[in-house]
Amino acid sequence: MSESRPPVAEDRAVDEVGRLQRCLRDLLSILALPAMWSGREATHLGHTLLDVLVALLPLDVAAVRLVDGEGGEPLEMVRIGAAQRGAIPSEQITMMLGGEPMELPAAAPLEGMELFLAPFPLGLHGEVGHLVVGARRPGFPDADERLLLNVAANQAAIGLREARLLHEQRRVASELDARVARRTAELAAANEELRRSEAFLAEGQQLTTTGSFAWRVATGEITWSDQLYRMFEFDRSKPVTLTDIGSRVHPDDLPLLYHMLTRAEAEASGFEYEHRLLMPDQSVKHLHLVAHARRTRDGALEYIGAVQDVTERRRSEEALGRLQSELAHMARITSLGALTASIAHEVNQPLSGIVTNASTSLRMLAADPPNVEGALETARRTIRDAKRASDVITRLRALFNRKAVTSEPVDLNEAAREVVALSAAEMQRGRVTLRAEYDETLPAILGDRVQLQQVMLNLLRNAVDAVSGIEDRTRLVVLRTGRDEAGNVRLSVEDSGPGLDPDSVPRLFEAFYSTKTGGMGIGLSVSRTIIEGHGGRLWAAPNEGHGATFAFAIPLHPARAVSKYRGDGGSLPTVNTAATQEPRP
Amino acid sequence: MTSRAVVVAVVDDDESVRESLPDLLRELGYAAQAYASAEEFLAAADLGAIHALILDIAMPGMSGPELQQELRRRRLTIPVVFITANGDAALKRRLLAEGAAACLIKPFSETALQLALDAALRHG
Repeated sequence: MSESRPPVAEDRAVDEVGRLQRCLRDLLSILALPAMWSGREATHLGHTLLDVLVALLPLDVAAVRLVDGEGGEPLEMVRIGAAQRGAIPSEQITMMLGGEPMELPAAAPLEGMELFLAPFPLGLHGEVGHLVVGARRPGFPDADERLLLNVAANQAAIGLREARLLHEQRRVASELDARVARRTAELAAANEELRRSEAFLAEGQQLTTTGSFAWRVATGEITWSDQLYRMFEFDRSKPVTLTDIGSRVHPDDLPLLYHMLTRAEAEASGFEYEHRLLMPDQSVKHLHLVAHARRTRDGALEYIGAVQDVTERRRSEEALGRLQSELAHMARITSLGALTASIAHEVNQPLSGIVTNASTSLRMLAADPPNVEGALETARRTIRDAKRASDVITRLRALFNRKAVTSEPVDLNEAAREVVALSAAEMQRGRVTLRAEYDETLPAILGDRVQLQQVMLNLLRNAVDAVSGIEDRTRLVVLRTGRDEAGNVRLSVEDSGPGLDPDSVPRLFEAFYSTKTGGMGIGLSVSRTIIEGHGGRLWAAPNEGHGATFAFAIPLHPARAVSKYRGDGGSLPTVNTAATQEPRP
Repeated sequence: MTSRAVVVAVVDDDESVRESLPDLLRELGYAAQAYASAEEFLAAADLGAIHALILDIAMPGMSGPELQQELRRRRLTIPVVFITANGDAALKRRLLAEGAAACLIKPFSETALQLALDAALRHG
């Protein structure tokens, strides 16, 4: 058949077939492009496209500009064909690509020769970018080249869209990853914080011997903290039931427990109570329980509470109570004992006068003739002595007829005078010279007169005891009232006795410490308690010469916060109200 | 009354005693003198003319028992009746053991005083 064809037409047909074959091969190459750039970045895609185009087609220039879709700088890539390599600077091409590629002129002068250009949009309207190719041959591009370039541009647009999508997916994925990582870190920190809180709580519970619990009333489900298990001495691994709890509660307190449970189930209100536990070893624990009701998210009634082991506190309170009543009792007894002598003397002296005068009076009246004048005189003396006895009894009644501690204006001078009067006999008996120096300008303080008098009496008695052994000099005791620099009212009792043993000073104010064989050592301790109760302080200091001085100072307006202190380390106690004054009068 | 001419001295620092006791003693028929302290008694009294001494125990300065000692030291044997406002049984026993004729706890009755003085004067 081919024989019949004219040779020229045959040649043309052969050319056409070759052209078509070439074109198909090129098309296949271009269609294979997506396989090369699949899953790669846009940049890689651009480079691959240009490399393949320059290799396939006789191009002098090929360039792409890729838009990233997020408003960033466009990516520009340029290839110079093998024939022109070195002749065309790629910057110039880039410059040419600037602006709107689709409006490029079909031919542009370049290095003295014309460059024929063809732009192809990537995407329908170039939304993904542009491909621009150029060659120095008129008629470029021909129909085949245009077809191939169109297909290539189309393939590139699809690939770039995929790449863009992929990039976006990756970005989202990595952002998601970052968010997950951040959240994980936050959770880890929160967990750590929670773990620490729990550790703190557990430690706190152990330190304060407090346990906590949650009790769901409907299900009977009970959750306990470790400390609570320890308190009840239950096995940590077993859930606790109300029956378990009941087995530990002191039998005497079981009715209390049932009452509490019944109320808690019925009322959904908080409760607080104290009960005892009877442990297997028969020891008794005191627990203090506080709980409040709440509703869980599903509306169930739940109690959250704390249980504190207050056994130690109860024991201390009991011991303290016992000690206090002992102290009070002993203080009373010692005060009474101290006063017995004075009372006897003070009351018996006038009574003696009464009896003697009455007898004399009777005798004078019975005489013949009756000595009426003498009888009247002795009767008058009887009445006078009776009044004296009555006065003494009134004073004593004031001292012993103790009401609750009172706070009233007290004239310290007047109070001291009464005590001095009561002690006068004791002073005389011990041949002690008492000198009293009262500051008559002393303002009244607020306090309990009788308590303060007990302190003064105690200080005077101690002073009398201190000087009782003196034989070579006057047994002198000086009582002074006055004010210190801070404006506190003070009273001191100075003796000329043997003074204080420095080692014993810190212990002077301890209960039951006594340097005297007959004493109970209760006086100074109680005295200090009384003075501290008035917001003041009581101290002892050796004198420069002989003896020691015991003194107290009380503020005019006592601060309620009386600081507690003990005589330790031999230093003088200081307290807010009288910190700056000298201990010596 | 003065026929018995028994002189009784009272030494007591309490004024009401010095006031009342000599009056009663006189009513009882004694001659009475009163002194406020042991020192005053030693200085002012005619020690040789005193038949009995009523002596307070606790006094400023020299005490009753100390005065008794002092009189013994001077070889004066004046019987002593101690009086005290706050004596107890133990003190009383001790004073009697140490040679007191009697020991009266204030307040004491006229009868007790009379008996004590009787004992003292027999003593002497």
